[in-house]
Amino acid sequence: MDGTAGIVLAGGRSSRMGSPKAALEWHGSTLLRRVTGIVGRAVGGPLIVVRAPGQELPPLAAGVEVVDDAREGRGPLQGLAAGLATLEGRAAAAYVSSTDVPLVHPAFVRAVAAALNGDGDVALPMVHGYPQPLAAAYRVTLRPLVDELVNADRLRPAFLFERCRVRRLDEAALLVDRRLAAADPELLSVVNVNEPADLEAARALPAPAVTVERFGALRRLPGPARATVQAATLGAAAAMAGLELGEHVVAAINGDRIARDPELPLAAGDRVALLAADAGG
Amino acid sequence: MPGGYHGRALVVDVATGGAERLELPEQVLRDYLGGVGLATWLMHRLAPPGVDSLAPQAPLAFVFSPLVGTPLTTSAKFAVVAKSPLTGMLNDALASSHFAIAGKLTGHDAIVVHGAAGEPSVLVVDADGTRIEPAGELWGLPAADAEARLRERLGPAWRIAAIGPAGERLVRYATISHDGRHAGRGGLGAVLGAKRIKALAVRASSGRPPLADPAAVQAAARDLRGRSFGPATEKYRELGTLANLLAFNELSTLPTRNFTAATFEGATGLAAENLAELRLRARDSCASCSIGCEHIYDVKGGGSVRVEYENVFALGPLCGVSDPDGVLAASARCDELGLDTISTGGTIAWAMECAERGLIDAPWLRFGDGDALLRAIGEVGSRSGLGDLLAEGSRRAAERVGQGSASFAPHVKGLELPGYEPRTLQAMALGLAVNARGADHNRSGAYEADFSDELDRLAGGEAHVHAAIATEDRAAVMDSLILCKFLRRAFAEPFPEWAALLRAVTGWDVSAAELERTARRIVLAKRLFNLRAGWTRADDWLPQRFLSEPLEVASGRAAALNPERLSAMIASYYEARGLDPDGVPRAGPLHELGLA
Repeated sequence: MDGTAGIVLAGGRSSRMGSPKAALEWHGSTLLRRVTGIVGRAVGGPLIVVRAPGQELPPLAAGVEVVDDAREGRGPLQGLAAGLATLEGRAAAAYVSSTDVPLVHPAFVRAVAAALNGDGDVALPMVHGYPQPLAAAYRVTLRPLVDELVNADRLRPAFLFERCRVRRLDEAALLVDRRLAAADPELLSVVNVNEPADLEAARALPAPAVTVERFGALRRLPGPARATVQAATLGAAAAMAGLELGEHVVAAINGDRIARDPELPLAAGDRVALLAADAGG
Repeated sequence: MPGGYHGRALVVDVATGGAERLELPEQVLRDYLGGVGLATWLMHRLAPPGVDSLAPQAPLAFVFSPLVGTPLTTSAKFAVVAKSPLTGMLNDALASSHFAIAGKLTGHDAIVVHGAAGEPSVLVVDADGTRIEPAGELWGLPAADAEARLRERLGPAWRIAAIGPAGERLVRYATISHDGRHAGRGGLGAVLGAKRIKALAVRASSGRPPLADPAAVQAAARDLRGRSFGPATEKYRELGTLANLLAFNELSTLPTRNFTAATFEGATGLAAENLAELRLRARDSCASCSIGCEHIYDVKGGGSVRVEYENVFALGPLCGVSDPDGVLAASARCDELGLDTISTGGTIAWAMECAERGLIDAPWLRFGDGDALLRAIGEVGSRSGLGDLLAEGSRRAAERVGQGSASFAPHVKGLELPGYEPRTLQAMALGLAVNARGADHNRSGAYEADFSDELDRLAGGEAHVHAAIATEDRAAVMDSLILCKFLRRAFAEPFPEWAALLRAVTGWDVSAAELERTARRIVLAKRLFNLRAGWTRADDWLPQRFLSEPLEVASGRAAALNPERLSAMIASYYEARGLDPDGVPRAGPLHELGLA
């Protein structure tokens, strides 16, 4: 029980957007699929989506757990309580994200989660002039306190921060992390889309620039073995390299886990290795 | 007698030239199949408890299989089995091609050698009899040269398995080879060398054992041959196993400078993707194989060498050598001497680290120095200079050098690790730790799960345990049938398909479930042999380096093993295998599998 989990809060009302944010499309993925995928790439523990009671969600990757808020419309502390409740005994801490951050980068999630390694109950980014409670890391042991605050109708995250040890991370502190500084120097990971205009602006941005490289016999295909392409998902990147993921072709993002899920989201600067599935032997 | 078998083994005492037939009961054949399985049964039966692996009484067996001689692709394989001079435990190694067919067509399912000849000799076997011939003029020759001379002497119908100079000098990781293909691991060449047997020559001279359903075997052969041309074997055909190297580097699983790193700055220059264009001379295949995985590269200055991932990894990144000409020359030199490239590279890499730390007096031996690598290989082959120490393998050498060098000696049970980094392949870490042969990538293929999306290869746990067991079981059957593992992905439902092949060949009503029990039986029988040979719980473990020195993969994630995680996986493996907490088989599984 020493890993960090992920909690993605999907139960907001999306009233300013006019339609459920979780299902909004960004470069071929729903926002929920993208955010859960990015957070999942960065944490080692369970991945939890908290939804409003009965809320319909777009498809999620295998292994993502879904839990319901006890009551709808009570804000982020209610969702945090539901998420932390599922993690007791399974993880030490959780990175908590809203669902409306299409530019969230795994390096940001890792940097924030790593900041909780020392003393403290919350690692709270202070970015673009604001605290970012929905892009922060929380210890699972905060659950009783969060429950107490929810039961007392003290629903703002600030009430929680008054009662626990908060490690505030300003932009300079975050960008000490060299991987984050390289991947997301403007800390766009925290930029959320609240209104249709925000979404249009986000959609106007190109898909992340990633490097795709074919290995082994896959290099026999025409075209360069390595190329920089703009692709928001693993499947899109593979297609641009002339390949389809499946029984005989797999991928590794940044030399990490082997994957073949075409919906797996990519982030700026990712390096995608396309490999024969029979590595070894 | 079931189809595919002769039902007997030939047991030869090379001290006297006397030979006996050992009848192989049908139930034994059904329970152990052939190859590695049958060899394990033979070792239980014929190896005296406590015998030293290099003593005359220690048996060494060449074992064939029911599929040898059939048209099934990749079936021309044989197992060589003995107690290993490196590990002191059961060791099996496979090799391929015409020797397998000719050996089986001497009319035996196995040829077992024991005793020791009074002078350098050759054992000659066909259906007409067995004889010992002097081989003084062959002693000292590379195996390939001895093989060529013997075929000149005996005739082209004879097929030869021979040792090189390293086997004669009892280097503990010497090989036995046939037509350039080595039964490489565990020092079987030293076992034959201790018997002063330079080579075993066999000639096909008996009838083929009948097949139960020839039409079904032919149909299966056509089907399998078709599948062997598909994408499941493309890697082996196109670039060979060396295609692993650059991919492994990308995944931080390429052991480098004696496992101090898992990526190598010189990987690109050694990669098949690049080197094949410059050095590839030809492609080849074993007899009865439609895959054709062998890639033969030119060696600078003349000659050629079969290139595999394992020899390039062990003599390249593991020793820090990035010059492809140096690596290919080192590999060719190992072939000439008859040395297992993995143990050679592992032991020399350990010595390079010792030299750089000042633990041994060999200032000439440094990581990255291809000339020093060649010199070290030569000294191992001749047991001269530092070579006499290194010829003992990294475990024994570290025991002599002391000064903490055992913590980075790269072996399990005495067998040096193959090119799979355990910290970044944690299912494989378990497979390496618990396998009967020692650190081995052919009897445990747990890396298959690590290289899939089924589990997180950096977070060893229950899923990794089940994957390790599953691949160990599959290997036990493939190595006993015998079929080449490069064909493994061509089987969609391995156990049912293998059972169908065995039914067609033998006529037995064998099912997938029975074969799964057979796999467990073979795995446990190997463990029982090792228990008799002195195995203890401490032997199922990894070197300290892997448990105390974390790595990091390119994403920034830490790749760390620790004693607690490895212990938990081993405990779970024991439980699932029907072993007690000390790793000893429980009575229930032994009764169930007929091993009690």
